[in-house]
Amino acid sequence: MDPIWFKEDLADEIIKQSYIFNETQSIVTDIVCDRIDITKIVENMAGVLTHRDAENREKGMRFFTKLLKDLPQSYLNQMQVNFISKFYIDRLKDNHRVIPAVLEGYLAIMDMKNYEIKLCGEYFNILFREIACQSQLRQDRLNIYLTVQKVLEKDIDYLKSLGPDFVFGLISSMDGERDPRNLLFLFNFLPNFLAHIPLGHLVDEMFEVISCYYPVDFHPSPDDPAAVSRDDLAKALCPCLCGAQEFGEQCLVLLIEKLDSSLRVAKLDSLRLLTESCKKFKPETYSPFLKALWSSIYREISHKTDEEIKMAAHEALSALVANLATSHNTDQSFENFVKGIIISMQTSVAESTTVAQFVHATRVLLSVANSSKESCIIVARSMIPAIISYYEFKTSAKLQVASLEFIGDLYDLAKHWDVLNDLEKQANEIIPLCLTSVSEPTKEHQMAGFKTVIKTIHALKPDLVLPFVEILIHIVQHSEDDDLLLISIGTTNAIARKYPELIMDLVVKGKCNMDNIMSDKTNLQKRLNLLSNLASIDDFTKVILEEMLKIITLDEKNAYNIVEALNTSLSNASLYTEEKVTQIESDHGLIDSILSWLFKEIKSASEESLLHGYTLISNTVCSLPGDKQILILARHSPNIIEKCQSEDVYFPLLECLYRSLHQNINDPTFDDILKLSLKNALTSKSVFVRTRACCLVAHILNKAEFGQTFEMLYELLKNYLASCSKDNEDICSPLIHLYGWIVKALILRGSDVFTFWLQKILLTITNPECCKDGSEAIRLIMTDQPDSLNSRLHCRTSILYKQRIFQAFVTMSSKLGPFDGETKEAYLLSWAYVLEKAPKTVLNIEAAQIMPLLVDALEYDNKDLLVVMIDVLTHFVLMKNLLVAQSFQTILPRLVKLSEYVKSMDVRIKSLQCLYEIANAYKTALLLPYKTDLLFDLAPSLDDKKRLVRNMAVRARTRWYLVGAPGEDKTE
Amino acid sequence: MKVADNINPNIYEKGSAREISKTDLDEDLKDDFDQREIFDIIRNICDPEHPLTLEELRVVEENNIVIDNKNNTVHVYFTPTIPHCSMATLIGLSIRVQLLRALPSRFKVSVEVTEGTHVSEHAVNKQLADKERIAAALENNNLVQIINQCVKSV
Repeated sequence: MDPIWFKEDLADEIIKQSYIFNETQSIVTDIVCDRIDITKIVENMAGVLTHRDAENREKGMRFFTKLLKDLPQSYLNQMQVNFISKFYIDRLKDNHRVIPAVLEGYLAIMDMKNYEIKLCGEYFNILFREIACQSQLRQDRLNIYLTVQKVLEKDIDYLKSLGPDFVFGLISSMDGERDPRNLLFLFNFLPNFLAHIPLGHLVDEMFEVISCYYPVDFHPSPDDPAAVSRDDLAKALCPCLCGAQEFGEQCLVLLIEKLDSSLRVAKLDSLRLLTESCKKFKPETYSPFLKALWSSIYREISHKTDEEIKMAAHEALSALVANLATSHNTDQSFENFVKGIIISMQTSVAESTTVAQFVHATRVLLSVANSSKESCIIVARSMIPAIISYYEFKTSAKLQVASLEFIGDLYDLAKHWDVLNDLEKQANEIIPLCLTSVSEPTKEHQMAGFKTVIKTIHALKPDLVLPFVEILIHIVQHSEDDDLLLISIGTTNAIARKYPELIMDLVVKGKCNMDNIMSDKTNLQKRLNLLSNLASIDDFTKVILEEMLKIITLDEKNAYNIVEALNTSLSNASLYTEEKVTQIESDHGLIDSILSWLFKEIKSASEESLLHGYTLISNTVCSLPGDKQILILARHSPNIIEKCQSEDVYFPLLECLYRSLHQNINDPTFDDILKLSLKNALTSKSVFVRTRACCLVAHILNKAEFGQTFEMLYELLKNYLASCSKDNEDICSPLIHLYGWIVKALILRGSDVFTFWLQKILLTITNPECCKDGSEAIRLIMTDQPDSLNSRLHCRTSILYKQRIFQAFVTMSSKLGPFDGETKEAYLLSWAYVLEKAPKTVLNIEAAQIMPLLVDALEYDNKDLLVVMIDVLTHFVLMKNLLVAQSFQTILPRLVKLSEYVKSMDVRIKSLQCLYEIANAYKTALLLPYKTDLLFDLAPSLDDKKRLVRNMAVRARTRWYLVGAPGEDKTE
Repeated sequence: MKVADNINPNIYEKGSAREISKTDLDEDLKDDFDQREIFDIIRNICDPEHPLTLEELRVVEENNIVIDNKNNTVHVYFTPTIPHCSMATLIGLSIRVQLLRALPSRFKVSVEVTEGTHVSEHAVNKQLADKERIAAALENNNLVQIINQCVKSV
């Protein structure tokens, strides 16, 4: 039997509202398969579409609309679409109940492939005439807007041809829209509309309809699941208000009015609108308003406390200046505006007595200079000379330093806009000023002067190089201050890049001549640092390094200083690139020289000086490409391995060569080296050698390729350790130490087997004899070592490894115990090391398990343990964790007791700080019971013998005085 | 709202924080109280009229503090921004309260207006020296509220 839609009963079925609404998909299938013609269906629907009851007509239209929506968009031919469109347009005149279905259906019609755009002219005509948009429901209003948007997407020209009547229709349908979602849609759609459709005489009406929302004052209802926020609306509204050039004048009047309002959001919105409008409006739009705008912007910039408004004002000012700058050739107003700003800022600069005031004024100038090339020229031309004379008559050191910084920033901007050629005359004055500044005896002046010299190095003339070099060398030789030394070396480097010949003559062959340096022993190291830094510049590399290496090979006494200097400079990756190090190695044979020096010194020199040599070698090796590394190994390792077999003192040499290999280097000798390292790690008498051996084991494990290579090495390691661990008690401590290194190497390569070794370490903690070694091993795992297992040494690293250790530790430690005395302390200490380094956010999840440990730990007399545990406790306090509040009765007396802990002021300070934070964090009701006791208990700390403790005691006690007192404004 | 006595006071640079010296970090050495330490306790007290600290207004200065560790005395002299400042007593009271809370009880504290900087300096000094009047003032909730707000940021 044919389904119902083949018969005229369809109409009745629709009226009955039965299952038929779910059958549209089957009907569509029938239509598409040509089993029935759409005309036939419509004929069958006739009864309901023309029913005399509006309610039933509504059902009919709803059904029809659903059908149209389900039909493939390309199915209907042009004639059919035309016909249906006409029918729908006609329906617009029907009863209000029918309208929603019509609006929805027409939207579907417009999407059809054969829809002719000219049909919509009549649709809009009737729509705007017959239907009051704002009396429809939210979704229906949105459908109306959607039809307009569709036409705009399909055919802008046709929309233009509809003329002012259409625009008026749209304006009246938008007028009074209140729903935030619809508004958001309109605000997003309007800029596009305004950009393409001329408004004609309706400019004022359109602006009025949009501007009535400005500034947006809207609070979403708290239970709205997908709320539209005020900021979304405000952000979307901005481009509408400046969507058309014709809005210019009205928009600016509105904006200035709202800028003067006392509402904070109104100010913010206005500043943002100004910024946005500068992208759209022409410069001449602003001319009549510039005075008013500047005075308002300046007022907001001078805002004392509100950083957000200040930033918005700065952005608005930049945007305005950038906009005006486009007219600099045709209009005088740009220049006048910028000059006006400069004049008023010069006054504030001149009047400023504090750095804050000075910076405030100069920031405005920097904003102006930052916004365009032209303004940058104007500002720099007048401000550089002004600041230079300002420097001379303001004697406050801080202001002088600030003025130097300002000049440096201004020069940077000029460099950015590439206008240095226009500023040559002004820029030439900067360097002499810096010279004056660095000639002052104070560190602040010198630092600021050098910083500015580095920034403005292009302006340095050759005749001033000599005085600078004099001062720089003097500082390098005599200053004790690390910052100053560093910046002096940096400055020399900058000058050397600009004038290599001059520096070569004055420094390398002059004041810091090698022979000269060596004969004069005072401050040898500092000058060597300078030279090794300069050696990074190509012009100097050869001369300096050759000299240095010559001394390393010949002169035994001072070779150590040179190795140290080279090591310091070469490990600075921004100074020496990998290519540079490779080049140095191949040109000068750095490793060979250092190795032979080490061979010579290894038994006599101090561990520290040798360490510099080892690091230098490993840093050099790590910069070399893989093939070069293999060559180096082939040349040196057989000899060293042989020596190691007999004397373990040579082992560190082997280690520093192998430490920084690339991951893909795979040597068959690795097995032997691993065995050798394991042997040394466990049995060597020297702690240093043992540590280096552990380190090498860790590096080999960490870098081994995934798969067979790693498995073999790992097996070897396990077997070796299994064979030796039981019988010998002497190796207990080194073994636990080695476990620590193994865990670290494994977890950093992301391997899960680390848990096996971590478990072993945890077991040692339960044993009173070696529990201390166990907690030391945990410390080792958690601490970052600068010279091992990092990506610079081509190791595999994983960022979240501390978090993984923490989690593994939490699960494993819950199964341990029970503890007594010593083991309990070691257990807590291991916890402390884990907690100290684990990411703080992870701690919050496990707070319930950690809290009892913290409370317990506060009773132990162990400084390391206390410092970490109080820190973690303070962290929980800052998070306002309620578990802490529940144990106040125990925690507070313990903290008070620790505030008089004699052995360490750190513990005293931290416990007082924790008490301070507690008073800050928790509700008054929780604190008040303890207030009187605490004020009494804190009094002795006010007279502590250390000032730093007293300072913290003052903070804590005065804070507790405020608990629950009038004037304490705590938001609870 | 009452307009402040001195609407547009001179503002001065804030000093930097005290540098931590090696002796400060040495566990075994005893640090005595000095001018700077007392100054650090009161420099950040807020002016009741402006969102500025007493240091920025130069109401208190390091050199106007006298401390004697042996005899356990502290004298603080403060300078009102203008001679007819009606807030002078309140500022003095704030300084006193702050020192009372923050210094060990062995010190005898006196707070006075710097000589010749206020029209009724003797009256103010007398009030600030009178223990009972201070105690009575601290019973007054409104007054305590204002003082607590001034010393809050310390």
